[in-house]
Amino acid sequence: MMARFWRFARPYRGTFVSGFVFLALTNALAAGIPWLLRGAINGMERRVGVTALMAYAAAMIGLALAQAWVRTLSRLRILGASRRVAFDIRNRYFGHLQRLGASYYDRHRTGDIMSRGINDVQILQTFYGPGVLNFANTLIAYTVVLTLLIRIDPWLTAVALALLPFLGLGVNLLSRRVYLRSLGVQEQLARLSARAQENLSGIQQVKIYAQEEREIASFRGLSDDYRRHNLALAWDRGLMVAVIGAFTGAGTLLVLWIGGSHVIEGRIRFGDFVAFNAYLGQLAFPTVALGWTINLFQRGAGALTRIHEVLDTEPDVPSPLDEPSPNDLPIDGDIEIRDLHFAFGGTESDARGPYPLRGLNLQIPRGSRVAIVGPVGSGKSTLVNLLARVYPVPPGTIHIGKIDITEIPVGQLRQSIGYVPQEAFLFSRTLRDNIALGRPDAADHEIARAVDLARLTGDVDAFPEGLETLVGERGFTLSGGQRQRATLARAALRDPRILILDDSLSSVDADTERAILDALERDLGDRTCILISHRPSTLAGFKRIVVLDHGRVVEDGTHEELLERNGVYARLFQQRRIEEQLGQS
Amino acid sequence: MSAQAQEDALGKAYDARLVRRLAAYARPHRGLIVLSVVLLFAGSAASLTQPWLIQQAIDGYIATGTATGLAVPALLFLATLIVELVFSVLQVWTLEKTGQNVIFDLRHALVSHLQGLPSAFFDRTPVGRLMTRLTSDIESLNEAITSGLILILADAIKLAGIVVILLWMDWRLALVTFAVLPPILVLTWLVRLRVREAYRGIRAAVARLNSFLQENVAGMRIVQLFSRESAHFDEFRELNQDHLRAQLLGVRYESIFSAVAELMGSVTLAAIVWAGGVRRLDDAVTFGTLVAFIEYAGRFFRPVQELSQRYTIMQAAMASAERIFGLLDTRSTIFSPVEPVRLLSRPRGEIAFENVTFGYREDLMVLHDVSFRIAAGERIAVVGWTGSGKSTLIRLLARLYDVQNGRITLDRVDIREYALPDLRRSIGVVLQEPFLFAGTVAENLTLGDPRVQPATARAAAQAVGADRFIERLPGGFEATVHERGSNFSVGEKQLLSFARAIAFDPAVLVLDEATSSVDPETERKLEAALEKTLEGRTAILIAHRLTTVRTADRILVLHQGRLVELGSHEELLRMERGVYRALHHLQDPISAADRNYKS
Repeated sequence: MMARFWRFARPYRGTFVSGFVFLALTNALAAGIPWLLRGAINGMERRVGVTALMAYAAAMIGLALAQAWVRTLSRLRILGASRRVAFDIRNRYFGHLQRLGASYYDRHRTGDIMSRGINDVQILQTFYGPGVLNFANTLIAYTVVLTLLIRIDPWLTAVALALLPFLGLGVNLLSRRVYLRSLGVQEQLARLSARAQENLSGIQQVKIYAQEEREIASFRGLSDDYRRHNLALAWDRGLMVAVIGAFTGAGTLLVLWIGGSHVIEGRIRFGDFVAFNAYLGQLAFPTVALGWTINLFQRGAGALTRIHEVLDTEPDVPSPLDEPSPNDLPIDGDIEIRDLHFAFGGTESDARGPYPLRGLNLQIPRGSRVAIVGPVGSGKSTLVNLLARVYPVPPGTIHIGKIDITEIPVGQLRQSIGYVPQEAFLFSRTLRDNIALGRPDAADHEIARAVDLARLTGDVDAFPEGLETLVGERGFTLSGGQRQRATLARAALRDPRILILDDSLSSVDADTERAILDALERDLGDRTCILISHRPSTLAGFKRIVVLDHGRVVEDGTHEELLERNGVYARLFQQRRIEEQLGQS
Repeated sequence: MSAQAQEDALGKAYDARLVRRLAAYARPHRGLIVLSVVLLFAGSAASLTQPWLIQQAIDGYIATGTATGLAVPALLFLATLIVELVFSVLQVWTLEKTGQNVIFDLRHALVSHLQGLPSAFFDRTPVGRLMTRLTSDIESLNEAITSGLILILADAIKLAGIVVILLWMDWRLALVTFAVLPPILVLTWLVRLRVREAYRGIRAAVARLNSFLQENVAGMRIVQLFSRESAHFDEFRELNQDHLRAQLLGVRYESIFSAVAELMGSVTLAAIVWAGGVRRLDDAVTFGTLVAFIEYAGRFFRPVQELSQRYTIMQAAMASAERIFGLLDTRSTIFSPVEPVRLLSRPRGEIAFENVTFGYREDLMVLHDVSFRIAAGERIAVVGWTGSGKSTLIRLLARLYDVQNGRITLDRVDIREYALPDLRRSIGVVLQEPFLFAGTVAENLTLGDPRVQPATARAAAQAVGADRFIERLPGGFEATVHERGSNFSVGEKQLLSFARAIAFDPAVLVLDEATSSVDPETERKLEAALEKTLEGRTAILIAHRLTTVRTADRILVLHQGRLVELGSHEELLRMERGVYRALHHLQDPISAADRNYKS
């Protein structure tokens, strides 16, 4: 664990060391001030002159100024280094997230990944910053102050020291409880927020089902839990403050009583008594900090483990980031799939991955247009995802342009494939940036063509700022159909050798879809196009229809052939045909 | 002011009007507040006695060399310490309890108020902004209660107490001590302001960084499919760099602040040593007084340092209160009448639109003068191109919006005369964009309504063919549904919300393109099931696919917000140049097959 902590700190070891040096200097200077106070008071007893007193006061201010300067430097060094360490960790974390494939994201919830990237990195930043700083400061302060305390009154020191372990232990226990309780509070707040978010975004459903009362009651219950957690936390926080107060108070009391007796007995002088009290005060914070840093070390170790769980996960598909930059060799659009099996490995949570494939065989010659159809769970989406190697593909099962796709650099493979997913995802940037995602250098006329192909031109003109309209979560709200067409334009702009539409026109109405498919037909030429759809009218427009069921191809042929075959596909159409005849009679 | 500027604005630190409204929420908890204030004063008094006891011990015993009796001030000191600490724990807790109770009530008021606001309000208000009201705005009010207003008053009284005690002990030394304060106060205040600004910068940078991360994690597949990894990494690095810069600025001012705070203590100490020492040499003050001065001065700094922080808390709280009350003052435009007409537990389901005109915006009408009548038990299909106003009809019927002109009746009574829950319970709507609540599958079907039995829910799931995939889920009907049903496909969500509508056994069933993402085979089963479930109900079907439409008794064709055709399938097909005929021809699968795409 120490080695892991050290690995991130290593680049800044020089900064940390100079920070420690300044920290030692700060403590030395700080220790000088009560020493001067002692001298001044002892001087007053001896009736020294006004000038001598002034010299003491001036020296105190001098030390205080020097201390302020050095103290600032020590904090700048150490806290600054901690921020840089956090910066590095964040970059590594995000860089690694980019290397992990879809299977990772199927198994892990966005919230969890975010929490590691935000909260855990924050804990580590606190560990490397205030944590390391206070730990070092405690060691130094104890060394310096204890030496001086023993010099003043060894007996009194021994008595006072007996108190310290209690304080350290008390703070450690309480700060752990405070930490756990504040985690509980955070969790309650997250639940409360999730509930409110859901309620507000589903408000139409709430209204339609007249669920307002139930929603209010359920929210009230969560709100009450949250209140209880907060109160428990407040109690422990209050206790923590009290424990610290008890320590400083008890220290003063000891000095007053035992130290006072020592003065009366003549064992120490009055100035020693005052200085002793001041020194003991200087130990209070480092002791509190020690309890806190021990606890922080435990949390930091947990955070580091969680970050490493991500960093140590090997990507199951190589990332283009780790490959030589793709050459521009276009990939031929011939697809050959032989005995393809795929099963999504053991699920850790209740998140659900892609449906399995069980020995799928399929050949799609370059330039063909193929529609894929099949019931839910038949593996349609899995199949097209595997073509882009979003999930790991067993070697020797998929060949594109006669090459095994596991031998094609992933970046190059994906550049040749235009994939339009089922759920249209737009980033919070302008519509232009979203469409030009795969080709940021695209010229205006190329973008206009892609927009036109996706039948989005009319919509774009109606947007407040046309292509420059900010879309996505924090921007202008697009309808489901508009989002789907925008993602189609995005894929089309890359001019891919293979275009895949994964049920990606479901929110587009039939006539617009027809127009889009007609335009695609004109534009695609010898590029390959694979479309998944549920719409009979769409399917019927395709020359070749492949029917999947239970992870296998069960039927393959033209619309007419499949109807004649009287199988799965025909069943889908039977009823419509009868209706058709009834309609005409 | 722009929406964003409004979110960031800091208000005045004190606004009598807002404080009065807040006080209304605090009043039920005034007992706690009074208790807290009493504890606060008693604790402060105990704490302020301590330096005086030290003075007594020094001057009475230690300085004079009298050993007997030193225990008296020492034990008294112990007593004040115990009182101070016990009271402080109790005080923190009572104040927190007050704050928590107030914001609990306020949060409840906000959520209840939000449930009653009309859909039009939610159309123009982003959910994120409402979430801010419910979380951070409310939290900032809690902070104002637990570490704002009351503590500012307490601190002020404590400071005044120290000033009076010091002047009383030795006014000359007191004046010298106070003289050191102003320059140091100004200095800390200035640094504090910088710290505050730096923190604001950090918060903004963190928010940008996090939303970038969030979006990229959610859309990672797209980033990878479009090979945008290195470009997005560069963007992330840049945001991270901005964040680092903001952090380092924060570190700088924070470091300076901590040094200045310490400097303040040492300089005051030096002042007391010098001025006090001179007076000591003249025997004008005792050693006890000197030590007590040092102790009191130490107690002076904390409240002074915290004052600027408390000031910020109050400013933030006032701005939050302004926004929260603004939301609470938003009036609902759609509500149940005072004396609603009672709706039969099982209405007949006769519906009429009479000259209905409506637009989401005043200047842009979506429906123009639409009139039609649906008999009880009749099945009506609504067709028309995208944007013709089909979905709007449904939203009006469920009173998510109110008509601008004309009226809608259910069983011959204007729907505005029914209580809203009654009306909505008698109309089952399956919306185009299905929505699942977090919880279990079963909860999504019953919505916790006791009138829906688990068996009914299961039967409903079976009727729509959802049982097939539900049984495959881990836990079946008890399987977990994530927020917004993110772990279900669109088709599955549609089936579940369909089942939910049926489980509620409504008199009127409305399907708004409810099966667009369901595969054909499931849809075929669904249609068969529909036959059974629609029996004895009035049904309104909106569909892209015309196969469903043919089974309807009558078809209503909307075009650009107007009712253009109404009749049976055969009647409409006979209309030359009819909209329905055109739509029908376009979607007919057999004729489409004639125009095969060449390959």
